[in-house]
Amino acid sequence: MSFLQQWMLAGLPLVALPVIIHLINQRRFQTIQWGAMMFLLAAHRMSRGYSRLRQWLIMLFRMLAIAGLIIAASRPLASGWLGLAAGSRADTTIILLDRSPSMQQRGAGTGDSKLETGRKQLVRMFETLGSGHWVLIDSANHTPQELESPAALRTLPSAGPASSSADLPVMLQAAHDYIRNNNAGRSEIWICSDLRENDWTAESGRWATLRDAFLEFPQGVRFHLLAYPQTAPTNVSIRVTDVRRVQSDEGAEVLVSLRITRDGGGDEKVPLQVQFEIDGARSVMNVELTGLHTDFKDHRLPIEKTRTRGWGRVSIPADANPDDDDFYFAFDVPPPRRTIIVTEEPQSERPLKLVSGIAPDPALTLKPEIIAVEQLPTLEWEDVSLVLWQGSLPTGAIADQLQKFVDRGGEAVFMPPRNPGNEELFGIRWSEWAGGNDPIAIETWRGDEDLLGRTLSGAALPVGQLEIRKYCGLSGEHTPLATLRGGASLVARVPTKQGGVYFWATTPAIQDSSLATNGVVLYAFVQRALEAGVAVLGKARQLDAGVPTGETPSQWTRLSEGDQGLSTEYPYHRGVYSSGDRLLAVNRPVVEDETRILTDTRVTELFRGLDFARVDDQAGSLSSLIQEIWRAFMTLMLIALILEAALCLPKLARSNSSGGSA
Amino acid sequence: MFPDRQTRSFLDAAVLSRLAGVPLFARRPMQGNVSGRHASPHRGASVEFAEYRKYVPGDDLRRLDWRAYGRSDRFYVKEFEADTNLRCCLVVDTSGSMGFGSKGITKIEYARKLAGTISYLASQQGDAVGLGCVAKGLVQNLPPKRNAAHLRLIFDMLDQAQPKGETQLASVLHEIAETIRQRALVIILSDLFIEPELLSSCFQHLRFRHHDVAVFHLLDPLELDFQFRRPMRFVDMEGGPSIFAEPNDIADRYTKALHLYLDQMKKVVLESAVDYHRVSIDESYEQVLVRFLVGRAQGKGLR
Repeated sequence: MSFLQQWMLAGLPLVALPVIIHLINQRRFQTIQWGAMMFLLAAHRMSRGYSRLRQWLIMLFRMLAIAGLIIAASRPLASGWLGLAAGSRADTTIILLDRSPSMQQRGAGTGDSKLETGRKQLVRMFETLGSGHWVLIDSANHTPQELESPAALRTLPSAGPASSSADLPVMLQAAHDYIRNNNAGRSEIWICSDLRENDWTAESGRWATLRDAFLEFPQGVRFHLLAYPQTAPTNVSIRVTDVRRVQSDEGAEVLVSLRITRDGGGDEKVPLQVQFEIDGARSVMNVELTGLHTDFKDHRLPIEKTRTRGWGRVSIPADANPDDDDFYFAFDVPPPRRTIIVTEEPQSERPLKLVSGIAPDPALTLKPEIIAVEQLPTLEWEDVSLVLWQGSLPTGAIADQLQKFVDRGGEAVFMPPRNPGNEELFGIRWSEWAGGNDPIAIETWRGDEDLLGRTLSGAALPVGQLEIRKYCGLSGEHTPLATLRGGASLVARVPTKQGGVYFWATTPAIQDSSLATNGVVLYAFVQRALEAGVAVLGKARQLDAGVPTGETPSQWTRLSEGDQGLSTEYPYHRGVYSSGDRLLAVNRPVVEDETRILTDTRVTELFRGLDFARVDDQAGSLSSLIQEIWRAFMTLMLIALILEAALCLPKLARSNSSGGSA
Repeated sequence: MFPDRQTRSFLDAAVLSRLAGVPLFARRPMQGNVSGRHASPHRGASVEFAEYRKYVPGDDLRRLDWRAYGRSDRFYVKEFEADTNLRCCLVVDTSGSMGFGSKGITKIEYARKLAGTISYLASQQGDAVGLGCVAKGLVQNLPPKRNAAHLRLIFDMLDQAQPKGETQLASVLHEIAETIRQRALVIILSDLFIEPELLSSCFQHLRFRHHDVAVFHLLDPLELDFQFRRPMRFVDMEGGPSIFAEPNDIADRYTKALHLYLDQMKKVVLESAVDYHRVSIDESYEQVLVRFLVGRAQGKGLR
């Protein structure tokens, strides 16, 4: 139990007042010469059970009455989870609000979502508790925003639903920075979240850092988690995995690939109606779901032959979470896939040109260009999707150009020069060549993600079949995607703002590796990099809400209804936007379809060592998390007084029998 | 009344004069030495016919009923009831508990008033009056006598009686029952703080010895009501251990014990045919005596 006026509890020792008065009264005895001792002795010999019990009950009720009065005056709150939070007013209260789509899940039999319920609960609670400052850090933009009052949470657009995922470590880091920069006093951090694993990234090393950072605050920071961990097994979500426009003799079509995911109940067959909408034209497809995931490849939606670009929407009937029941897409004529190849030796040049020039789809146009280093300053970089670089790392103006190219989303793959120098790019420098004629086995590679990941059919790339004879060492901070026996990196990735750049530690030259002869791995690698690079260049882009894209949201114009939000928050709300001549379809990130919830133990571990309290609530819950219950204690006091009075009532006087005779 | 005009605090002349008109009667036949107001178990010379009896040689010929001889040709002697005086033995409890009084008068003072008045009234109607003071034993004893000088001794003894020591009333009553030779009126003035079973045997003993027993059970109102506000330490007036008690805590059980005792006492006196009077000492002793005397007058005549 918590108290708003905790200092009043200092009066609790007054509960002992009846006992003290009793003891004092005992000390104030009178002495009397008494004749009728035989009756006193007989009274002493009699059973004292009820009489003694009555005395104790009177004492107990008096103590209860005092305790009830003191506790009522301390304004108790009916909540066990607040700890001593309400004991004293916090200087700064920071609210970390998870606005991710999963928070839009409705509770059973209610129209309120988790987010809406959480906001209401927080407002009610904060209006009771009070604080010096109110700061909101929402999961979309992570920027601390001071609130005039807790009631602002009800109406603030930045507290409303968004389509972007939450990143709790980043939000906590923002809270930490706010406390540090503003020298906040005793601070409370309230987290309202549904505990999705993808939002919390519990395995991230940032948690340990955050814990240590918060522990360093001398004023103390208290954490409270308002959790909504309930899942909805009947919920179904839909996602467009691929969309492209194809031209045929009869006309034009948009091929839409779908993935429908069920949160639970995978064994049953569930009929579902999927509705497509393109340019106001609607069509319906009836499907039957089996298993947790159901994929539909290239569902054809005919469009006008002359229409080369447009956008549409796929939706399913509303269920527990309406935010994952629709998905927006945009299509356009795919841009040419232009690859720039810079090599210093012909053995590498041809394989690279081949793997970047053979299109996986006849409809695609690939444009590999071999360019000398000297020509790069005059190159038009705007429509370049991929740079394949074999040779010494560039410096100066060319390095700057590559940096800009990568920053806008272009992909770059580097291979080592025959004679490594001291040049450094993206923090990486080539060191010495190693190896001989004997092939060096590839020990590990990341088959679960990135460019060496499995194919859509689930088959792994034959990376292990590659024969690496020579490799050049890499120095600098990087993430190895494949390593050779002995621990040397074969493929490395260096993260950048818009993805990453890749380094191969060998070349396709015959004397170095079998990349050219066993070209599947190199082909898949290059084509995947090319596809990632061209995705940025296309005039119709599929964007994940909240993920940095290099776009300028201020120039966006909303085309679809989607989420309603401020124009500055368009990147966080699903829908279709136009930016100049580009169409941008913003949707929830793919990780939002993951329904795994953090276990209670894991949550406790994340806040280990910190002052942490948690309560689980349900979407649509009407009962307030805290409420003042002084009335209950006043009632208790009154009942105790009435009972005490009843016990103290004198018995009915017996008729005086003196003067009788026989 | 008294040659030296000595006044007694326990005697009120007005009360004595008012009560003088109500005679003190015995409920049972008494064996006195002289003629008096009380019935005797023997035949005597009163005006009240008793019975005819066959003449036997040696009877006084003057008592032959010649008319009966004339009618039946047999000799009959006509007999009459005898009236005699009584021996009134006052037994006053002078144990420590008799010193208690919460209403401005102690039980011993009240007992003095009762005993003094009764002894005066009995003496005035020609009865012999004796007095025994009982505490741990028979502390003082004056055998019943009829003269006025003896009455003065009784008053002196009452004056000097002080409450002290334990009560051994039961053994003393047994002793009295044995030591009074003839039938007597035994009036006990005590708070009777002993077990009713013990008293029962005493009363039965006195009754067996043909004594007429009357009891004034003197109780203080505080002993009956037991109303205290503060914790009390009760010091035994008869030298027993003290008891510390919270009156609110013990009052119920005290009252229960008291009523149990009174009920047993009532049963005992009914079984023993004792003339029992429970007296709260805040009552007027005159009223108590009126009730006592009138009650006995109604029971007069039993032989």
